Amino acid sequence: MNTLLKVTDIKKDNILKGISFDIAEGEMIAVMGPSGSGKSTLLYNVSGMDQASSGEVWLGDTEIAGLNEDDKAQLRLHRMGFVFQMMNMLSNLNIIDNIAFPAVHSDKKNRKEYYERARSLMDKLNIGELAGRNIKEVSGGELQRACICRSMIMKPEIIFADEPTGALNQTATTEVMDAFLEINREGTTIMMVTHDSKVASMCERILYLLDGEIKGELVLGKYTEEETRERELRTSDWLESMGW
Amino acid sequence: MLRRMIFNDIKSNKLITVSTAVFMAVTAMLLGLSVFLFATLFSSIDSLMTKAETPHFLQMHTGELDEDELYTFTVGRPEVEEMQLCTFLNLENGQIKIGDISFDNNMQDNGLCCQSVLFDYLLDAGDNIIRVSPGDVYVPVAYKNEYGISVGDKMFIGTEELNVAGFMRDSQMNSMMASSKRFLVSEYDYERLKPLGSEEYIIEFRFRDESDAGAFSTAYTDAGLPENGPTITYPLIKLMNTLSDGIMIIVILLVAFVVLYISVMCIRYIILTQLEKDRRETGMMKAIGISRKDIRRLYMSKYLLLSVTGCIAGTALACVLAIPLGRNMRELYGEADNAVLVYAAMIAGAVLAEAVILLSVRRVLRKTEKISAVAALCGRGGTGRKKNLWIPVAVIITVSVFMMMVPDSMKKTLSDPGFVRYMGIGNSQIRIDVRQTKDIGSSTDDLAVRMENDIRVSKYSVMRTGSYKAYLPDGSSYNLTIENGDHSIFPVNYMEGTYPVNENEIAFSILNSEETGLGVGDTVTVTKTNADGKTEPVTCVICGIYSDITNGGKTAKGYIKDETPSIWSVMYVSLENGVTPDIWISEYSSGSEESIKIAEISEYVNGMYGQTISKIGNASVMTKAVACAVILVVILLLMRLVIWRERGESSLKKALGLTASDIRADYLKKLGVYLLAGLVLGILSGMLIGQRFAGGLLSFMGAKGLEFTIDPISTFIVVPVLMILTVFAAAFVSLKEIKKIKAFECLNTRE
Repeated sequence: MNTLLKVTDIKKDNILKGISFDIAEGEMIAVMGPSGSGKSTLLYNVSGMDQASSGEVWLGDTEIAGLNEDDKAQLRLHRMGFVFQMMNMLSNLNIIDNIAFPAVHSDKKNRKEYYERARSLMDKLNIGELAGRNIKEVSGGELQRACICRSMIMKPEIIFADEPTGALNQTATTEVMDAFLEINREGTTIMMVTHDSKVASMCERILYLLDGEIKGELVLGKYTEEETRERELRTSDWLESMGW
Repeated sequence: MLRRMIFNDIKSNKLITVSTAVFMAVTAMLLGLSVFLFATLFSSIDSLMTKAETPHFLQMHTGELDEDELYTFTVGRPEVEEMQLCTFLNLENGQIKIGDISFDNNMQDNGLCCQSVLFDYLLDAGDNIIRVSPGDVYVPVAYKNEYGISVGDKMFIGTEELNVAGFMRDSQMNSMMASSKRFLVSEYDYERLKPLGSEEYIIEFRFRDESDAGAFSTAYTDAGLPENGPTITYPLIKLMNTLSDGIMIIVILLVAFVVLYISVMCIRYIILTQLEKDRRETGMMKAIGISRKDIRRLYMSKYLLLSVTGCIAGTALACVLAIPLGRNMRELYGEADNAVLVYAAMIAGAVLAEAVILLSVRRVLRKTEKISAVAALCGRGGTGRKKNLWIPVAVIITVSVFMMMVPDSMKKTLSDPGFVRYMGIGNSQIRIDVRQTKDIGSSTDDLAVRMENDIRVSKYSVMRTGSYKAYLPDGSSYNLTIENGDHSIFPVNYMEGTYPVNENEIAFSILNSEETGLGVGDTVTVTKTNADGKTEPVTCVICGIYSDITNGGKTAKGYIKDETPSIWSVMYVSLENGVTPDIWISEYSSGSEESIKIAEISEYVNGMYGQTISKIGNASVMTKAVACAVILVVILLLMRLVIWRERGESSLKKALGLTASDIRADYLKKLGVYLLAGLVLGILSGMLIGQRFAGGLLSFMGAKGLEFTIDPISTFIVVPVLMILTVFAAAFVSLKEIKKIKAFECLNTRE
């Protein structure tokens, strides 16, 4: 498979101490580690939301670190998708408007087409009936799935998710992970930061971060429902060996 | 989508949105209104002076006149386009009555005249040149409202009767600040009524180029032509016309700028608080790739919509208010020549106000763009250090107090008995004017003798004014109107130096000092006339500079004892304690010639500035209303922002066992402290900066070096009470929100 994201020796203040790794096209990768290990900082730096002190980050043939703020914003808008723990959405818009917002904002001419896409994404993630709802009128899991729809609206090459299930209960977590697996199966690359070993076990590969360095890597392969229990056990054993 | 976002935002922040729109509307209204009134005033005055063909130079003259000499002089002056000789039949005010209203207490020089032939036309309400029929009279429009005169009323001059056929605009004497008023009659009636008054000449000139007045005036004096009376030029007429309404407009303009400042400040705090609230949302937008410019555009769209709404509402409101506020101007000077341009100016004023606000919005938004998406998402950075919202409360109270104080204190300053000292008039109780009589000198002497023997008079001074030819140090000649007498008895206010005490000393009015470039210590040679009729030069040292707004402001005070004929004389009198001025005045009036005017100084000032004082009074009421409305909205708004920002803290306090009343009391205590600070600072700034502001305005009227008189009742009682009531009324409404805060809110982390 081709490499989509190539990270080489990135450093950030004293948080990241020279991290290198690759993500292949269509891969779903989890980053784990204790609090303060630098997981979220790593995600912000490889996605261009923050500027690393040194090192290189390539998304396909684009070197991110060298871009200015506006170009980075364009890159995030067109080639990346984001999902956050706090399910940030615009409070003055309803669910479907929020999902379509980045697309309509960047290209007003094809508004109708984007709304159709938003609807189809919502149907796919089983939240089709929530289109006209206010963001305060839906559950956490529904809102996070809406956030995943928003991250997919521009058909990004990669989705960065920062603790996407961190504020959710077990049922909602399952719904959200199903959504991620669904879009990953369709070819979207996902890089996810998580504290949850069950969530991580659904990813193809897990990177373990400690004190700003990658201390280990666990390759699990593509997720299938039948292997769930086995993957969870493998993951927890591995994490234990990492000192988790 | 953008429309929906803005609509929903407005729906969820009704109070803040409405307050912002109100600020924008009020600012647009005030600025639009001031610009409109200024444009109307200038345009109407220009239009009237053009249509009436106002003289560029005019010389009043009492006494004999050689017409041939005047015409010969005029022919030799290439700058003169036209010259005419008008007459003015000065009437004794006691003789004039319109309907039941007597002009006995009127302080103006009222008289009759005929329609001019070549220029200086007297116009009707439609700006047409009036043709008067015998038996009719046209009354100065300034008297229409003052005395409630209507067409068809009867005017009596002694026993003679005239029919009021209409009102007229007199481009020269329209303003109450001009000391004479002309009534227009037919030539037949003028001749018929001639025996009832004393005739005065108005020698009028129009130039090919209006700016030639300076050189012409010197040439006129050098030619020894008649000049027994004040000289008036086109710019002075224009200034007189502009002043009485202009001052009210300047006060509105001051209010407009203060409200603009408050609006900008409030909107800044609204945006900062809003951005603080929206921090995660803007962080998210940045994270998903919406550019900084686009995020700014989202916010700007809302403010643009509000400002367009505010601008339209403000302009509409200004149009409504312009009708009553501009009524006096329209009556006095007619409709503005170019109404479209005047309305365009109003819209430009309103748009300018909105542009200033939008620029400040843009500036605030740009400042917040530096925060990175990560910082915003993680709750780091924020919009800079959290602003203390109590400081704008104090600042806005300060400026509102200042705004309320200035017109009140200006009114008080103008009404204060001491103000006459800045007018070039002695601060006495009574003023006696001896003018337009055959022998001013002997009439004055008779009065002086009478007063010397009157035990009710505590002190008096006699000032005889004569026209003197003077030579400046550079050899050029200059015509000086010198008021001679003992200036130590009722001294005027000297900006520099003091009054003259001997023949070799002279004091100049500011305008004379500015025009000649001479100051204290410089010398001027004055030609005096001795008893034998021979002239003799006297070198006088300038010993003082004083402020004067009488007789065009170009006067001098001297101590010359000679035989130069008096143009007029003035006596200042103070009575012993217990003597009623009214009785004294009526006694002296009945025993004196009709042309001798005796009045209390306060009446004299009121006659000149009464209308201006009343207009400032109106502006003062309006200012108080605007200030209270602004304070009410600002306090409602800022308190709401403070409560919103401290919601978590208040919730925690409730969780810890404090009641809503405890929390409210804390807020009220804090508000009380900032209110007190605002009041003290406002009063101090009103006393310090306000003095300069009012001084600047009044120096525009000719009274310089003015000391601001504070109105103690307004400053220390009315204004603070109004402020306290308004602030606490707004606070009580805002603090109702405290009750809605729940103790568990501080535990809820989901945003």
